[in-house]
Amino acid sequence: MKLFVPNGLRRAGLAASAALFLHACAPNQDTPSPVVGLDVSRYLAVGDSYTAGLSNGGLTRTSQEYSFVNLLARQFQNASSGAGFVQPLFDGNEGSFRLAFNGYSPTGFLQAKRVPGTAVRRTVLLTSACGTAPDTLRLLKRSSTAATLPQNLGVPGLMLSQIDAVGLGNEASVGSRPVNPYFERLLPAGDDRTYFQVLSTAASSATFFSYFMGLDEIMPFVRSGGTCGAIPSSLPMKRAAKRILDVLTANKRPGVIVKLPAITSLPLLSQGRGNEVEARLQAYYKDQLPLYIETPFVPGASQRITDRDYILATALPRLGQPTPVQVGSTTMMLPYGRDSRNPVRDADVLENTTEMVYITAAINDYNNFDPVPSNATTVFGLAGLARIYGLPLIDPSQNSRLFDAGFLFNNVTNSISVNGVVYTAEPVRGNFFSLDFYSLTPRGNGLLANSFIAAINRAYRSNIPALDVNNLPSTTE
Amino acid sequence: MRARLLFLLPLFSGLTAAASGFDTGPQGARVLGLGGASTAYIGSIAGLSTNPGLLGQWGDSLTRISLGGFGQIRRSSFVGQDTYQRTDQDLTVLPGGYFYATRAVSKRVSVGLALTTPYGYHTKWPDTWEGRSVIQESKLNTFFAQPTVGFKLNDNFSAGVGLVYAFGKYTQRRALGQYDDPTAQATLTSSGSGYGVNVGLYGRTGDNLAFGISYRSGIKLKMDNGAFHATGIPARDASILPGAADFTTQINLPSTLSVGIADRITKKLLLTFDFALTGWSTLDSLKLNVAASGPVPARVQRTARRYEDALAFRVGAEYQVTPKLLVLGGFHYDETPIRDEFVNPEFLDANRAGASAGLSYQLSPRFAVEAAYSFDYGQLRTARADQTRFLVSNVSGTYRTLTHTASLGVAAAF
Repeated sequence: MKLFVPNGLRRAGLAASAALFLHACAPNQDTPSPVVGLDVSRYLAVGDSYTAGLSNGGLTRTSQEYSFVNLLARQFQNASSGAGFVQPLFDGNEGSFRLAFNGYSPTGFLQAKRVPGTAVRRTVLLTSACGTAPDTLRLLKRSSTAATLPQNLGVPGLMLSQIDAVGLGNEASVGSRPVNPYFERLLPAGDDRTYFQVLSTAASSATFFSYFMGLDEIMPFVRSGGTCGAIPSSLPMKRAAKRILDVLTANKRPGVIVKLPAITSLPLLSQGRGNEVEARLQAYYKDQLPLYIETPFVPGASQRITDRDYILATALPRLGQPTPVQVGSTTMMLPYGRDSRNPVRDADVLENTTEMVYITAAINDYNNFDPVPSNATTVFGLAGLARIYGLPLIDPSQNSRLFDAGFLFNNVTNSISVNGVVYTAEPVRGNFFSLDFYSLTPRGNGLLANSFIAAINRAYRSNIPALDVNNLPSTTE
Repeated sequence: MRARLLFLLPLFSGLTAAASGFDTGPQGARVLGLGGASTAYIGSIAGLSTNPGLLGQWGDSLTRISLGGFGQIRRSSFVGQDTYQRTDQDLTVLPGGYFYATRAVSKRVSVGLALTTPYGYHTKWPDTWEGRSVIQESKLNTFFAQPTVGFKLNDNFSAGVGLVYAFGKYTQRRALGQYDDPTAQATLTSSGSGYGVNVGLYGRTGDNLAFGISYRSGIKLKMDNGAFHATGIPARDASILPGAADFTTQINLPSTLSVGIADRITKKLLLTFDFALTGWSTLDSLKLNVAASGPVPARVQRTARRYEDALAFRVGAEYQVTPKLLVLGGFHYDETPIRDEFVNPEFLDANRAGASAGLSYQLSPRFAVEAAYSFDYGQLRTARADQTRFLVSNVSGTYRTLTHTASLGVAAAF
């Protein structure tokens, strides 16, 4: 074609193609610049397992790095210079006792195996409050932040009813008083201070706080299928929350309060919803056998499972497995839960009438109690406290159709798609919950951090960028 | 004469749907320079693909050939709604080409052939961008062959009909972002063909004013040879996601109804107006029927598109500068078939305003070279993903798209 094109035109053509490529630079768009409408230079995180960064049933250096509070602090740091955040990190790759992925059972249920902790410094066997097997207390290597207190005061397993327990973080209490090994490693050796005292000290220099606490109060009862510990009661929880929040909000310190998610949105329960499990087992065994649970009130009797009863996810792989049962004078091998003579034991199931209703009521009251009118003796729930303090509140179960922030727990239970990646409540494959059916994966923590950011942006007129959660790892293993 | 046409303007501007979508624009350098307003334009035989009714107008003793190539760069930038991160699409050039030939077989009947590449796109995002699990790269190429017969009804009117054979190839690549392995990917490849028909009418009232009307049917590209491949799937998920599977799908290319007017204002200046309605609404969703593979049962995978019919308005001008040199200019406005809630980074489009310029230089009485360039500026599009709607894989943010098209060709008559 060149032959036909005179020189002048050829030059014009070259110029035209050059112009084409010059103009082909991507269309310009302005990116918003980050604005932080509040002082985040000293962020204090108060809470339990979620705040500490528990994942796969344990706390490791990696899981701490991916705690939602640390992810949040990282976004603060990117948006505002001088925002430091000190965590009580384990050294190297060390961590506590935890779980690891161990395939699926033939019935398709997730299985996990135990991994010994590398940061355990002392193991003590204690008499168990319930059951015959002793409890194992594993004391952990002390945090290097013990002298000064870290900014992440999340303590796995910390109960609201323990915030005034003296010696909770003192090794000397072992055997006589409750000890929380995760709290113990935050303090200097032999320190008798209570969590409330520690928190009050740390709060004095904080400029911003987050409060996400209360689930670990209820979890021991839930994990034991309602066989260990008292039935959860919201009144002491609300009183403890008010004491903590009074300190945290002193001098109008800004912060964010988190409501607890519905207990049924945790995979520990949602994976074991009565009718679904029954149908799944029937599909696997290709039969129509019902699933039986022990009848509350009547020891030894069994009843068919309902959709309001939840089998703990940790017990699911055992369903249908033959176990020895004493029938009359003989011992028979009967499929666990699939024979009325071998019902699912009380410890493996949260039954509706005596367990679920109390747990749900306690969480509802703790989250929402805000009566109109109220008086001086009213003990408010988190919603009422947030209103009084004028603080934003993150509700993990709010609907994403209303706010970008609320795509959590309940929405994850119904599955959500985040930039083309589907998140569900199924641990491992769902990428949100970790192997313990309760705590979050780094991506789950990322989604939680993003809903915090959205709440902060709305409430404090800020422009803090969110995380690309699909960039985070799907497990801390 | 000009006043006669002005009444059309409010008529057209009042309509709020339009063309664009993934058509690659006018199929010929000269009609590209004219902004695509070629339904009643007989200056180039490239009009054959727009309106077969024009064919009768080239019914003299000459054989005409027009051929050339074009390149299209369609590039978008993205700013994440919450992450504020900007991502620019990688630079890709979608190649295209055209070949036209016409010849009279009798006083009244002419035959012609049009080979064109009227639809296509090539979207390529950086492999690590925010929406990588929605799309990394997507490509559609089409090739149309249209043998045409034209009839000269009388001195002023002609009609034509063409049979369209269309072939298309579709490939898509996306990350499997549910896995930590950054190389985990799923690819789709398929190709297929379909038939359609193109009919048109051309008429002249006196020497100065001409009009044309044409309709090209929609074409269903049936793709039965689709291949799905996935890499990087961990062993634990082998039972739910296959490494390879066959699939079938169908891509519906839209019908087009065009109406045009050409008005010779002076001896040297010709103005053309076109108005096209493109039936994009046949593109409702991309549905893949994936066959069973190993332990994984057959399934249907669907992505909603929900395109709307769309209108385009085009104006072109041709000016004879010297006996050998013609310059062309055009303006067009295309509204997008893509609704706000279905904006998808696989193929981005917006209401576009575009301008074009071109020239035709007569090297000898029988031979001319033609060149043109066109630029489209797209409106800013805002996508808000609804995480509970799985049918629409989306990434929240704003998109802006610019399109550049350049074409070079020759026209000969002998």
